Amino acid sequence: MKKPKIAFFDFACCEGCQLQVANMGEGVLDVLAAFDVVEWREVMSEKWDKKYDVAIIEGSITDNHAVERITKIRKKANILIAYGSCATIGGVNGMKNNFELDDIRKYVYGESYKFFPTELTKAVHQVVKVDYFVNGCPVYIPEFVAILKAVLQGIPYYVPDYAVCVECKLNENICMYDKGVTCLGPVTRAGCNSWCINNGNICYGCRGMLSNPNEKSARDVLAKYNIPIELIINKMNMYNKCREII
Amino acid sequence: MEENQYVVLKKELFNDFITRLAGIKKLVAPVSKGFKNFAYEEVSSGEQIALKYIPTILPAKKYFMPQNETLLEFNTGKKSNVEAFVEYEPVTLFGLHTCDIAGIQCLNMALSERPKDYNYLSRKNFITIIGLECNEYCDEFASCHLVNADFPSGGYDLMFTDAGEYFIVHINTESGEEIVTNTEIFNKAETFHLNELIKIRENKRKIFSNEVPIERRHIPELFDRSFRSNVWKEVGERCLSCGNCTNVCPTCYCFDIRDELDLDMKHGRRYRVWDSCQLEPFAKVAGGFNFRKERFVRQRHRYYRKFRYPVDKFSRFFCTGCGRCTRTCMANISLKETLSQLVRESEDRVWKRWL
Amino acid sequence: MEKMALKYSSYKSEKAEIVDIKKLTENEKLFRVVLKNKGSLDHEPGQFVMVSLYGIGEIPISVCSSPMISDYFELCVRAVGKVTRSMHKLKKGDEIGIRGPYGKGFPVRILEGNDLLIIAGGLGLAPLRSLITYVLDNRRDFGKVHLLFGCKEPKDMLFSDELEQWNKRTDMHYSCTVDRASPDWAGNVGVITTLIPGVDIEPSKTFAAIVGPPVMYNFVIKELIAKGIPEQNILLSFERNMKCGNGKCGRCQIQNLYCCQDGPVFNYEQIKNLSEAI
Ligand SMILES: Cc1cc2nc3c(=O)[nH]c(=O)nc-3n(C[C@H](O)[C@H](O)[C@H](O)COP(=O)(O)OP(=O)(O)OC[C@H]3O[C@@H](n4cnc5c(N)ncnc54)[C@H](O)[C@@H]3O)c2cc1C
Ligand code: SF4
Ligand code: SF4
Ligand code: SF4
Ligand code: SF4
Ligand code: SF4
Ligand code: FES
Repeated sequence: MKKPKIAFFDFACCEGCQLQVANMGEGVLDVLAAFDVVEWREVMSEKWDKKYDVAIIEGSITDNHAVERITKIRKKANILIAYGSCATIGGVNGMKNNFELDDIRKYVYGESYKFFPTELTKAVHQVVKVDYFVNGCPVYIPEFVAILKAVLQGIPYYVPDYAVCVECKLNENICMYDKGVTCLGPVTRAGCNSWCINNGNICYGCRGMLSNPNEKSARDVLAKYNIPIELIINKMNMYNKCREII
Repeated sequence: MEENQYVVLKKELFNDFITRLAGIKKLVAPVSKGFKNFAYEEVSSGEQIALKYIPTILPAKKYFMPQNETLLEFNTGKKSNVEAFVEYEPVTLFGLHTCDIAGIQCLNMALSERPKDYNYLSRKNFITIIGLECNEYCDEFASCHLVNADFPSGGYDLMFTDAGEYFIVHINTESGEEIVTNTEIFNKAETFHLNELIKIRENKRKIFSNEVPIERRHIPELFDRSFRSNVWKEVGERCLSCGNCTNVCPTCYCFDIRDELDLDMKHGRRYRVWDSCQLEPFAKVAGGFNFRKERFVRQRHRYYRKFRYPVDKFSRFFCTGCGRCTRTCMANISLKETLSQLVRESEDRVWKRWL
Repeated sequence: MEKMALKYSSYKSEKAEIVDIKKLTENEKLFRVVLKNKGSLDHEPGQFVMVSLYGIGEIPISVCSSPMISDYFELCVRAVGKVTRSMHKLKKGDEIGIRGPYGKGFPVRILEGNDLLIIAGGLGLAPLRSLITYVLDNRRDFGKVHLLFGCKEPKDMLFSDELEQWNKRTDMHYSCTVDRASPDWAGNVGVITTLIPGVDIEPSKTFAAIVGPPVMYNFVIKELIAKGIPEQNILLSFERNMKCGNGKCGRCQIQNLYCCQDGPVFNYEQIKNLSEAI
């Protein structure tokens, strides 16, 4: 069987999860060995008119150019993978949606902002069809490996639609709430093996929210722990702002 | 009480005993993790062990039915080959409270029912259980008396009872006897030791009493009356569906089965992981239909799987009163409180009928 | 952690070979399967097997062939997700894993000497085909046999060759309806319940067997009870999420019943008070 051609593209992104393939450890390299990795500049050059099998997209869609570019990529790719929070949920770039657009442009480009049109930040699937989601900021490498394997097998990968708490309990961590610290685990999608909590940090919700979180009760829980609701909204917005445009 | 079934261990010899015990095979005991949390972990000396502890984050079921357990290994491709395996580890569990032992008794029943679960049944034979009786309540969340799990009644090899200066130890099995013989550290129990044990138990009977205002034998009826109760709606509104209450429960054994391929994409394994009826996708079928879509239906199911359904099947409750589900719940959903609410509501209904 | 081979495991399947594949509709294929090291599957109509595609997953599928055939058995699979879509990519000669048969099927011995009213909605025809073919193989042991079949559109019709044959038989009454007709459709249009009043049976000695999508059950049961068929004579087969088939994983539970062991076929009396059933 011929190796599937795989190509990487980056869009607006916080650089936190730059796809540094070489740094990813053996698992990823071993799986990538089953692919034919094509240089993205090559693919994007005018001359490249063939299709590629898999396109991995990093970063969120922030302006018209990006929309055009991602649409082109989608047309040429059999399978499209959104990689990292910026791509899957808008990520930190989604924070832009908190402010008036003109304010952002003013802030970023100074007084000449009028020459730089910008749109609401979007996650990739809000613009084109996405076949696989690699959530997380940064992504959880074992999950990325599992997804690449699913691509090779030609089967779907379902992102778990249950809370990070599930994995956290299976890892027998002390609950952050017992330590008097707030944690977004109960409303965030699992799949990262709760690695932040395993390492003593709280869950910031980087993988995005459950499809059906109990938002009212989550608020009550926070109130019970005397956690100001603004604090949590800020934490949640950090990654989940784009959810509101869906 | 037969004297020859009891031995005594002096407290000052406890650390020696643990060292010797750890020399026999891997030894696991409750360890303090801070923030009033405890966990069963491997220990090698007595100082590591928390003798006064509230139920651990995860119950001892993690040794009987690990969170992630290989069922099969296979080769895919033309010449496929499949082998069934059990992963096991010889281990002694020290310090299990009677509630946790009751939890293992429940799992034993459920998983030895036909078709038997040979993974569980094979593994369990490699595990030695040494209990440690509670002389008083661990904390306010316990309801072990309600479900008859506050006193030792089988399910262990040795049972330790703290009698101040020494432990009185009940030998329940031959392998318990072997530990006593091989560690060469126990003394014969005298009559006054046994009298002391009787006194401890009498005192305990005064401390442990019904935690919920209902007689044990009336619980199944209460549940028969309460399927459509408003209490479930109220609980469902608060539940976050995080699954903590089931993952920490010593009698929950629901699981998912998944496949995983190695990097060579040829070999792989089929494994099971703990799953929970509280999670939204649990009862969803292909096509998207969810047979337990609403949170209150899922919570109700959990309670019925503790207090009603197993009564017909196994003649016992699948709740040990350990209180873990209450302690772990961020939404403050309390088992004792829910049961009390059901009792109150049901009484109201009975009164209304009479008036 | 040490590892020990298990001689008995309730999770290990038999090797099986796909000896034939037939495309039935756009989304459904019929697989003919032979067990490699074991003779007959020895199933009852209505029972199911757990089908393994190693590395992908394991799913419950009803056996849809007659138990009277012992050389092979058949599975009718609709492509909906991970395992079923992968199964549709398999070819003749490919190997799969089979464990089972599982569950309680239709109580064929009790059905003997009675009239039968078989009601199939969509893919529900698959498990019922095993009952129908069994009944036809032993035709004289039963009274009148009626088959009512409903599906979305004429192009969704499963086993159309067989339906045609059954339609021609004089010892069996067959009628069918579609939700939406195509231009060349001359038959009934409408929901399946509209076919029930016209069926000529003796209600007190009739058994009804129903398999279809969840929404169908309530309407059909109401019609059958109105017709005077006793509750314990109304047999239903349920679909649930199933992972183990052994009554352990808890996914298939309908209150205190385990669909994989106590079902999938239940009689209406058994489940009518269970709000989680229908
Ligand atoms: C007793 C019994 C008998 C049956 N008999 C038959 C039969 O004869 N023929 C037949 O075709 N079927 C039958 N079924 C149904 C069959 O078992 C299911 O169709 C099958 O299990 C689907 O498996 P899958 O891996 O293909 O689908 P899955 O991939 O598991 O899921 C299918 C659908 O659910 C969605 N989904 C699943 N999990 C997730 C997730 N985590 N996140 C997002 N989406 C998700 C997918 O998008 C997809 O649309 C039977 C079922 C039972 C219980
Ligand atoms: S630490 Fe966070 S993720 Fe873990 S159980 Fe507590 S709330 Fe859930
Ligand atoms: S624990 Fe939370 S923040 Fe950390 S990787 Fe997982 S989802 Fe992201
Ligand atoms: S622990 Fe509490 S919030 Fe979480 S699923 Fe259980 S009852 Fe619901
Ligand atoms: S239901 Fe709660 S109290 Fe009862 S055994 Fe389970 S965790 Fe313990
Ligand atoms: S629930 Fe009862 S038996 Fe269990 S630890 Fe608490 S007091 Fe001891
Ligand atoms: S399928 Fe696992 S309990 Fe029924």
